[in-house]
Amino acid sequence: MTDESQKRIEELREAAKPCFQCGICSSSCPVFRVAPEVNPRLAIDAVVSTGELTEEGNEWLCAYCLMCDQRCPMGVSLTDILIGLKNLSAAEGNAPFNITKAVESFFTIGVIAPGTTGVERKRNKLGLPEIPKPDPEQIKILFEGTGGLEILEKNLAKESLAE
Amino acid sequence: MKYAFFIGCTMAYRLPFAEKSIRMVAPHFDIELVDLPFTCCPEPSGVRSFSDDTWLVFAARNIALAEEKGLDILTACAGCHESLSMAKHELDTKPERKSLANEHLSAVDLEYKGTSSVIHLHQVFHDKLGAEEISKKVETPVIMRVVTHSGCHLLRPEEILQVDSSEAPVKFDKLVEILGMEPLEYMDKTMCCGAGVRGQASDISFSILKEKLDSMAMVNPDAAVVFCPTCFISFESGQRIVNRMFGTEFKIPVYYYTELLAVAMGLPEVEEFLAGHRVKPDFPLVHKSAAEQQVQPENTTSQ
Repeated sequence: MTDESQKRIEELREAAKPCFQCGICSSSCPVFRVAPEVNPRLAIDAVVSTGELTEEGNEWLCAYCLMCDQRCPMGVSLTDILIGLKNLSAAEGNAPFNITKAVESFFTIGVIAPGTTGVERKRNKLGLPEIPKPDPEQIKILFEGTGGLEILEKNLAKESLAE
Repeated sequence: MKYAFFIGCTMAYRLPFAEKSIRMVAPHFDIELVDLPFTCCPEPSGVRSFSDDTWLVFAARNIALAEEKGLDILTACAGCHESLSMAKHELDTKPERKSLANEHLSAVDLEYKGTSSVIHLHQVFHDKLGAEEISKKVETPVIMRVVTHSGCHLLRPEEILQVDSSEAPVKFDKLVEILGMEPLEYMDKTMCCGAGVRGQASDISFSILKEKLDSMAMVNPDAAVVFCPTCFISFESGQRIVNRMFGTEFKIPVYYYTELLAVAMGLPEVEEFLAGHRVKPDFPLVHKSAAEQQVQPENTTSQ
């Protein structure tokens, strides 16, 4: 683990510290409601003690509904903490396949949910205007400059190893 | 009102018929939509999960494009709205984040200044136009009992987005009421549709959706009305998957608000976008009388 990752983990632990384990995050979480093994209250407890989750990869199971953030009486943003953990996980090349694919699409065309074939025809038929496309060169400069490309390549490399 | 129109990937590429309804009703309220070469907002579950900095800089780029034209951004998707609003909040309240964004943006000759705001259609209809302006346009009320779903990313974080109450939203219900519908209170009104984990954990995602649909079905609505294309897809396509997975029999038609607004306004060609729906109501949405009104043009008498 790099020094920078270590520093980031310390920041996340600090952000989680005000938690007093009241559990309103768990009772508000739609994921916990159907998958009790994914428990936000225990997740935050693990972050406070170790800086990571007990079950590696569980950070990717947050639905990002923001209910826990909204209700936390201590103003802890579990969502932000989990985004921090996802960033660390992605930096190691451990992002889920669908996320990697979405980000690859973003890097290629600036869109993460490209349409199925025929969508342009459908748009035409409805009389919708052509959507102005972002300059690919601009995307490349910003994506590479902010470190996105390095992370994407790491995840794509892991995928191809797994295949 | 002139806005930089942030359609968003999902609406543009997956629900073009819903986009059509927005572009149909907009001129009737003097709303001019300007299309700009935006990228994806970017969406938090994908790009932001990869790199917070990449997310922030691309959101700043999108907002900067609108700033260059001197326009505020109008969003149609709750996800885009939350993402752009959160990025804007960070850029406007944390000087170090703003400098970071501008350092990167200078490489593509752009600058984030903070001069454009981000507003969702929900806010334009409820807060800017209001009940009076909308009801003036209603020709043929849409008579249905409906459940509304504002969507997580219009409601939370409430302090920053300020669209409606995050625990007990009422504004969307008012908006459907103006069109003639009866909004129904239901248990899990503010609960997530499950979209956020669909790609990486579909079993969890559809279990969440089932809980949500159960809650809607309890009050026996004629339809569900949404203000987010991602929620639309969850409910509409998703209910068929839920039915397969759990042996349920959900059959709840789903509408994006402006589709029903167009119907209520008696606009022509609404059948064109309603045809794009996969779950159709078992009653006519456009009533005969409305259809007849459409083919009885005043111009036969005025000419």
